[in-house]
Amino acid sequence: MTAYQIWFYIIASMILGGALLAVTARKIFRAAIALLVSLIGIAALYYWMHYEFIAAVQTIVYVGGIVVLIIFSIFLTHNPGHTIEEPVSIREAFAFTGCFAGFAFVFSLLNRYSFEQTGDGLNHTMQVADVGRALLSTGSGSYLLPFEAVSLLLLAAMVGCIVIAIKIRTK
Amino acid sequence: MTLGNYFENIYKGLKSLAAGMRLTGLYFVRRGDSLTQEYPNNRGTLKLAERFRGEVVMPHNESNEHRCTGCTACELACPNGSIKILTKFIINEEGKKKKAIDTFVYHLDTCTMCNLCIISCPSDAIIMANNFEHSVFDRTKLLKVLNKPESKIMAGVE
Amino acid sequence: MILSIYNFTSLTDKFHNFLSTHLSDGIVLTTELIVAGLLVITFVAVLAMVLIYLERKVAAYMQLRLGPNRVGIYGTGQVVADVLKLVLKEGITPDGADKLMFNLAPYVVLSTCMMALAPIAFGNGLVLWDLNIGVLYITSITSLGVIGILIAGWSSNNKYSMLGAMRSGAQIVSYELSAGLCIISIVVLSGSMQISEIVNSQTDGWWIFKGHIPVIIAFVIFIIAATAELNRAPFDLAEAESELTAGFHTEYSGMKFAMFFLAEYINMFVLCAMAATLFLGGWMPLHIGHWTAFNNVMDYIPSPLWFFGKTFFIIFIIMWFRWTFPRLRVDQLLDLEWKYLLPISMVNLLAIALMNILGWHF
Repeated sequence: MTAYQIWFYIIASMILGGALLAVTARKIFRAAIALLVSLIGIAALYYWMHYEFIAAVQTIVYVGGIVVLIIFSIFLTHNPGHTIEEPVSIREAFAFTGCFAGFAFVFSLLNRYSFEQTGDGLNHTMQVADVGRALLSTGSGSYLLPFEAVSLLLLAAMVGCIVIAIKIRTK
Repeated sequence: MTLGNYFENIYKGLKSLAAGMRLTGLYFVRRGDSLTQEYPNNRGTLKLAERFRGEVVMPHNESNEHRCTGCTACELACPNGSIKILTKFIINEEGKKKKAIDTFVYHLDTCTMCNLCIISCPSDAIIMANNFEHSVFDRTKLLKVLNKPESKIMAGVE
Repeated sequence: MILSIYNFTSLTDKFHNFLSTHLSDGIVLTTELIVAGLLVITFVAVLAMVLIYLERKVAAYMQLRLGPNRVGIYGTGQVVADVLKLVLKEGITPDGADKLMFNLAPYVVLSTCMMALAPIAFGNGLVLWDLNIGVLYITSITSLGVIGILIAGWSSNNKYSMLGAMRSGAQIVSYELSAGLCIISIVVLSGSMQISEIVNSQTDGWWIFKGHIPVIIAFVIFIIAATAELNRAPFDLAEAESELTAGFHTEYSGMKFAMFFLAEYINMFVLCAMAATLFLGGWMPLHIGHWTAFNNVMDYIPSPLWFFGKTFFIIFIIMWFRWTFPRLRVDQLLDLEWKYLLPISMVNLLAIALMNILGWHF
């Protein structure tokens, strides 16, 4: 086993351990932090694969954005120090069955798909300029239409926010 | 808020920030007017304000005479009983019995430097001194007798 | 080119080659990671001591005092004495606290701010990890620091800590926007996110001189947003002594408190180094256009000196802010960000993009 592989297993155990803790933690705040560990692990995996841009975006969006939002909403809504009681065992059984079914489905898909090596392994670098060009061009392998669709979605979300937040003056 | 107001706000804000930074910047550069006294090092040159209240003392002149008549006005004025005056009767030159102080006891440990004794003294016998280094290892050393041994009242002070 | 006199690339290359001849690829990487980690920890400890001494001296001089002047020459030993005191102090964990989270938080805060040091170029070739998205990496890592503060605030089981953490989180998240826009404006001009390329794009003059007024505006906004992100006065609502005792680190003592303190100063260094790299050319000596003689003379000053000189200049400005301005109210804080800094930096970014397309900069 090479040192690279050891690093991979360390990162993978971080992701899986974080995910496992996130669903088993009895305190909601600790669950959020476990989720954070898992998401940082995914970013680390991207760095390990030399996809720095995706890794940084993963860190900014998921860790710096979404987890902070989750923690804030936990602070504001729940009693975060409260220990959640054990769920009913029948529910636990159903949850296990559901998880196992999902895992089996994904695993069978992965098993059937034969992964082909497209690059030359670890020795490639991902230029940010290429990402930008792919995002804003119209040829094959480019993403202008999805980009615009996402911007439309964000616009709709912004309009929705303003509608919720606006003060309607009543006489 | 108009657009003109908006830019005016920015301009005013930046101007006031610059004014503040100019002042502190000047303080930073001009080192001469530092207010800190490096106390134990500058003991020799230390200058305290005249109104500074360190302790109550009774001035004596060269011939060991003070101005205290033993009227106990200061003892009565003292809010926490830091002054205790023991009097005695002496016979003066004219052969009359006269009241004079025996010991002027001053408890520095309970004194709050309120200055009321100095205000109440009719003959200006006691004053506030500047000395502030009062720390001692034994509490009893703070109990002081202000009149010097064998001292007498100054002539002409009633 | 005279720049190559002080090129540290050969030094790091020699070390890498020496390791590569003896060890396999992955182990070389691991060894280098460990060496880099140890270097960073040493650097962080020394830097924090220097910064704390500087801060106390600057504060004293601006308030017409003398500052620390008893321990050692000009009080330099004071910092060492303080560190010793903090090491020897008992680290108390409050009874009602979430023990695990409470003890985890300082490590999260400190390790995130040390991670942000990785892509910073301290000199010509003196960089730990010159990855191609350097500035984006620093932005992403600094946004992680909030998490540590939130953990600390929540796990202390103290309402002051909680309020302080919430304020700090809200402040960092909102001021990150305008700081990010200012960073992007330099990325637009230099055409790269890689720190080494950003520095190289300033060979014929720093961006603050080449970029006319828009870059100066971006620089000012970046400095203000950086001060706010650091939770330093005048933006220190998160640890407002008069309202919240000490904010999120109210319950911390001893070494755990020292770690928060350390993290604060390292963060300050990272953001000031960013400002120096983006706007003042990083380790690049002062070059003016095509004055080759002048440029060659400037090249004789070693590049780390340039870098640290610029960074400490910006740190001094931020300290100057702290000891001059009074604390903002919450509504003023939000007004400043959402009504002034963000719109201005957006318009400014557009202006810079236009300037770049039309080639109006030098």
